[in-house]
Amino acid sequence: MQASSGMLTKFESKSSRAKGIAFHPKRPWILVSLHSSTIQLWDYRMGTLIDRFEEHDGPVRGVDFHKTQPLFVSGGDDYKIKVWSYQTRRCLFTLNGHLDYIRTVFFHHELPWILSASDDQTIRIWNWQNRSLLCTMTGHNHYAMCAQFHPKEDLVVSASLDQSVRVWDISGLRKKHSAPTSMTFEDQVARANANQTDMFGNTDAVVKFVLEGHDRGVNWVAFHPTMPLIVSAGDDRLVKLWRMSETKAWEVDTCRGHFQNASGCLFHPHQDLILSAGEDKTIRVWDLNKRTAVNSFKRENDRFWVIAAHPEINLFAAGHDNGVMVFKLERERPASAVYQNTLFYITKEKHVRSYDFQKNAESPTLLSLKKLGSPWVPPRTLSYNPAERSILVTSPADGGSYELINLPRDGSGAIEPTESKRGQGNSAIFVARNRFAVLNTSTQTVDIKDLTNNTTRSFKPPVGTSDIYFGGTGNLLIITPTAVHLYDIQQKKSTAELAVNGVKYVVWSNDGLYAALLSKHNVTIVSKTLEQVSTLHETIRIKSATWDDAGVLLYSTLNHVKYTLLNGDNGIVRTLDQTVYLVRVKGRNVYCLDRAAKPKILHIDPTEYRFKLALVKRNYEEMLQIIQNSSLVGQSIIAYLQKKGYPEIALQFVQDPTTRFELAIECGNLEVAVEMAKQLDKPKLWTRLSTEALAHGNHSIVEMCYQKLKQFDKLSFLYLTTGDNTKLTRMANIAEQRGDFTSRFQNALYLGEVEDRIQMFKEIDLYPLAYITAKSNGLEEECQAILEATGLTEEQLSMPQLGEPLSPPKPVVPTYKANWPTKGTSQSFFEKALLGQVEGLSLEDDTAAATNGFGMEDAAEDDGAAKRNGALAEVDEDEDAAGWDMGDDIAPEVEEGFVNVESAEVGGAASSEADLWARNSPLAVDHVAGGSFESAMQLLNRQVGAVNFAPLKPRFLEVYQASKTYLPASAGLPALVNYVRRTVEESDIRKVLPIIPRDLETLAANDLQRGYDTMKANKLEDGVQIFKGILHAVLINAVGSESEVAEAKKLITSACEYTVAMSIELARRKLGAPDAVAKNPQLLKRSLELSAYFTIPKIEVPHRQLALLNAMNLAVRSKNYNSALSFANRILANGGATKILENAKRTKAQCERNPHDAVEIEFDQFAEFEVCAASHTPIYSGTAYEECAFDGSKYHTKYKGTVCVVCEVCEVGKHGSGLKLFA
Amino acid sequence: MDPYSAEGELINIHNHFHQGQYQEVIDFDTSSLSPENALAARVLQLRARAALGQAEDVLADVQGETEPELQAVAALANQALGNSDEAVTTVESLDQDNATVQVLGGAVLQAAGKSEAALALLSKHQGNLEAVALIVQIHLQQNRTDLALKEVTAARRWAQDSLLVNLAESWVGLRLGGEKYQQAFYVFEELAQAPATSSVRSLVSQAVAELHLGRTEEAQAALEQAMKKEPAFAEAIANMLVLNVITGRDTKEITSALEKAKPQHPFLTDLAEKSELFDKAATKYKAKVAAA
Repeated sequence: MQASSGMLTKFESKSSRAKGIAFHPKRPWILVSLHSSTIQLWDYRMGTLIDRFEEHDGPVRGVDFHKTQPLFVSGGDDYKIKVWSYQTRRCLFTLNGHLDYIRTVFFHHELPWILSASDDQTIRIWNWQNRSLLCTMTGHNHYAMCAQFHPKEDLVVSASLDQSVRVWDISGLRKKHSAPTSMTFEDQVARANANQTDMFGNTDAVVKFVLEGHDRGVNWVAFHPTMPLIVSAGDDRLVKLWRMSETKAWEVDTCRGHFQNASGCLFHPHQDLILSAGEDKTIRVWDLNKRTAVNSFKRENDRFWVIAAHPEINLFAAGHDNGVMVFKLERERPASAVYQNTLFYITKEKHVRSYDFQKNAESPTLLSLKKLGSPWVPPRTLSYNPAERSILVTSPADGGSYELINLPRDGSGAIEPTESKRGQGNSAIFVARNRFAVLNTSTQTVDIKDLTNNTTRSFKPPVGTSDIYFGGTGNLLIITPTAVHLYDIQQKKSTAELAVNGVKYVVWSNDGLYAALLSKHNVTIVSKTLEQVSTLHETIRIKSATWDDAGVLLYSTLNHVKYTLLNGDNGIVRTLDQTVYLVRVKGRNVYCLDRAAKPKILHIDPTEYRFKLALVKRNYEEMLQIIQNSSLVGQSIIAYLQKKGYPEIALQFVQDPTTRFELAIECGNLEVAVEMAKQLDKPKLWTRLSTEALAHGNHSIVEMCYQKLKQFDKLSFLYLTTGDNTKLTRMANIAEQRGDFTSRFQNALYLGEVEDRIQMFKEIDLYPLAYITAKSNGLEEECQAILEATGLTEEQLSMPQLGEPLSPPKPVVPTYKANWPTKGTSQSFFEKALLGQVEGLSLEDDTAAATNGFGMEDAAEDDGAAKRNGALAEVDEDEDAAGWDMGDDIAPEVEEGFVNVESAEVGGAASSEADLWARNSPLAVDHVAGGSFESAMQLLNRQVGAVNFAPLKPRFLEVYQASKTYLPASAGLPALVNYVRRTVEESDIRKVLPIIPRDLETLAANDLQRGYDTMKANKLEDGVQIFKGILHAVLINAVGSESEVAEAKKLITSACEYTVAMSIELARRKLGAPDAVAKNPQLLKRSLELSAYFTIPKIEVPHRQLALLNAMNLAVRSKNYNSALSFANRILANGGATKILENAKRTKAQCERNPHDAVEIEFDQFAEFEVCAASHTPIYSGTAYEECAFDGSKYHTKYKGTVCVVCEVCEVGKHGSGLKLFA
Repeated sequence: MDPYSAEGELINIHNHFHQGQYQEVIDFDTSSLSPENALAARVLQLRARAALGQAEDVLADVQGETEPELQAVAALANQALGNSDEAVTTVESLDQDNATVQVLGGAVLQAAGKSEAALALLSKHQGNLEAVALIVQIHLQQNRTDLALKEVTAARRWAQDSLLVNLAESWVGLRLGGEKYQQAFYVFEELAQAPATSSVRSLVSQAVAELHLGRTEEAQAALEQAMKKEPAFAEAIANMLVLNVITGRDTKEITSALEKAKPQHPFLTDLAEKSELFDKAATKYKAKVAAA
């Protein structure tokens, strides 16, 4: 018997004595009935109390959830059975009938029945739908302690303090209460006879078996879920296993161990185990087959009263004196390790397997670890050593042990490891290719061992070390309950320490720069020197984590996959319906292991975190890419950006004018704000804009706002402050027309117009004021006029003390003509990037900007903005010219500006799809198809140094011709042009690409074959043309994949070799007729040389044979037997057609007699060389040469700068970026 | 009642016209038509003749007529004969609210390269599908697929399964691509393969759709069928030419056929232009060293 290893407590509650427990079949809920009369509903995952139900009087001993309905049932010492709805949170009804305490209540798995066992010695079945008592089962002659339905059959098992266990047949009851079926008379008779009535005349439930064996009262009994087995627990401290057949039942064995009353027992739902709980404060686990104790768990103070199993998942609960505990027997986390693209993991069957992330394929079993540890204990960790291809597995069994095993090269099934090294230890990991570290927690030592399992060094880790992890080269991460230490193995000391509580797992990033420390509820990201980078808290358990290649940590909790950036920004990636352990992220796939240790792929959308990452890294290009390519327009991202202080970026996403306005104000982008305000045209917005613009010092916008708002006073003051006297005058006129005297007065005051003021006072009969104004300004005539008009004399007036006449200061600077330097509008890098992208004509990005709707709109909007701004300026000027005597005139003018802009946007032709091709693609061919010959040439020039385009003309025109079709549409109009695509499935205009005639496949299948034919048929002139044609066609072409690029390269090389080979032979033939050549020693020498060089290019073997044969015959004829001999040998070495071989053999025999050359030629059969394509002379290996960047033909250096004679297009020795055939 | 609707008496002649069955339009028995439809039918027949290249006869036919419809036909014929300016002047002088004037005028203006004017005229239409189809075509010629799509979608709402809407939608579909290719193909194929509706134009349309779908063999069959019916139909030849280029076959013969059928076909003019462009562009590059 081991100590309490392996038992993992997941949840504990504190309460009074727990008597009854029930798991919810789907949700993470547990129902606990207490001795204190309360029923609690807990969420054991979150550890929260969801609800309390308190209607029972006295202890509640039995509870059960309904499998499908939102119901549960309880039975208590108040003799009552209550059925509750946990949705409406109240008791629906009470079933009365029992005459004593109720011990257990259970729902039937399909029928609307409740089974109850009571101290009144009866077991009753109730129908909870019509709330009636169906059947009372009598027979026990002491308290009935427990009664349960069989999970499938019509059986009930009960336990009683009368020391017996009874099995009841309730099929009669089912027949009686299931839907009425027609029953013949005979059936009825048969049934009446078959069901012998018991002594109370009860035929519905009859005792099938009475199981006697306990010699004290029996407290609990349970059926096995699938096998005909029963387990019971009694006050005799025994747990007994019973088996039954159709006709009889018998005791199988007894599990002895409890040293106090055994109060509960059950079968493990998935494994061959029995669990029992007792008043001796232990939970014990037994092997069902051997009836031996497997494990036991002891609690210090609390006696156990009840135990229950979750029907689906690997969870158990036990009720004790002070609450309940939810636990599992073993870890479900499969031991695993990732190395590059391979995952190694251990299955439930303790098989080691691997999984290839690239092929998405599982390997067969590599190894079986059946013998590792004890049978019921799964291995805990797996560490992989790629250098040795060995694994280090630890198991918590036997106080912790490790095993070092070499993996077989390939999985051949569940073989046991042939050779393994093992030892004691709680944790074992590889720290170098030939070293591993073993932690022994009991002795608190860490041993560094070599691969022969010998300890090379040993040290004492910091106190309380519970686990060790790899800590980077030469280091260990040592985990203690309160801290993590970075421990240098060489120096045997801790080099860094970080206080983090309860770290359970460490996950290193792929680049080894960061590690995530996972605790139960925290993720702490540290650098490789153990400096804390960020930390985050989860209210729910964190299960696993893995790093994205870009440095984003993805982690899983019980029910979510989440991400966190290094700066601690986190969010949800997706929800999970079952717990998984992440092992790897690749693109949109997250690889994980589920609890059954099966590799799974989850699909995620990484857009959000990639975007945030790009934001953090200020990688604006990527952000732009994301903005344009994914649907990342959502409130959340806007809110996020706003919160993070990037309103100017948020602005790029938003289309809703109100939000745009808000954001624009926030980031001080007045232009956008004006634009939006115009769109929305609400006084509130204008007011806000005016305030903001004023703060910026942008008075022209302020002016417009005031105009919009008709705030004449403010306008006047604005004109005053900006020194715009003309407009101020106009304001005065407007005030006059409006009949607003206050305003008029004010304007006059601003303008210093004394006469006007006096005039106004007179108009409104305020003569005293008029007089005083005139007087104070020294306008005596005016004074007299007023006096006359009013019929008063100066003497009649009592004058106050007059001061100096007021005159407003004159403007020194015409501020109104332009804005003062305004508050710097923060144009972010992002905006700049965005603008840069739009304007910059880098091929790809420009396409994106120009072609997608968003980009177009943006551009248009930019234009629009410019125009509108222009319009704004114009409005101002108009005002100058025409004056806006009527304040109302302004609005329509602005409106008109809008209309104009709109209509300009709608009309007009756009660029055609063909134009887009050139922007969509970096391939020359797509530019050609789009008719953009200049850019195509430019590309080719850059890629392969193409300079002589004339030979490509047919190909250019061919590709161009294939690009369009003519669809006859309306009569009388030219046909509609449509653009033929090679991306037939694609409808995104940004991705479509043109069709390419004579693609790689056609070239390889047709043209190349034709070329071969000419070689065979000895039509070399045609052949050269064909191979050059191939070269030209490949040059202007596109392929679908990287592998096809390689094929294309091969085709180019092949075509080049043939062209060179054929040219050499043609050059030889041009030397003259054979007779003439034979007579001229110089020509003869050259002829022989050329024929020899003809055999050098790497053409297909049968064709090489032809060249060799040609060279051999020529050599023989010229008595160059040595050369002929070498050709013959090469022919023979190549093998092939017998006719040629025989010919060669004959020649060989002939030449061997006299292996001498009559004519000295420049051909060393033993030297490595290539043939210069232009001069047809050897380029020996080691000498400098130039080549054509496109076809790779070789030249002597003196040909640098000439046009390649093979492709006739490229400049020899001009290095380009390389031909691009695949984007 | 709309005479072109399913119950109207002009439905058949109207459909013949838009399916490209011009001879059927001309042969259509118009004697039984009610008098108010006679003019419309006559216009259709005249247009069919114009489409078959008998523009001069048409012009003679409508000489001196005063109805704006017939004057519009005259303009159309003039345009077909190359008297573009005269045609445009005529159209501009006509009643812009007349449906026939709108459609024919729109076509004339577009053909004269005045797309904006054409669109302005056509946009005055009141539920006239012919006008819609023309607007769609003009938008497509301007490469404003977005606007064309909008127009079709709007039309589909009020004129659901009309031939013209289907055609216009298919035209747009061939621009959009992807699965729209297949949908367009279905429309054209249905027209081309039923004897009652088959015409050279629908056959060519079908072939074009197939070409875009990458089904070159089927496209070839359809084009051959079309060329058998009407050997000198320029669009059929042009598309056949494209097909031959795509499949990598020799194109000399068919190019000369096109040159014979329609020397000013856009394919040829465009090609000549590009050929010139090539020569011009190629002169910018040359090797550092002249051939050794």
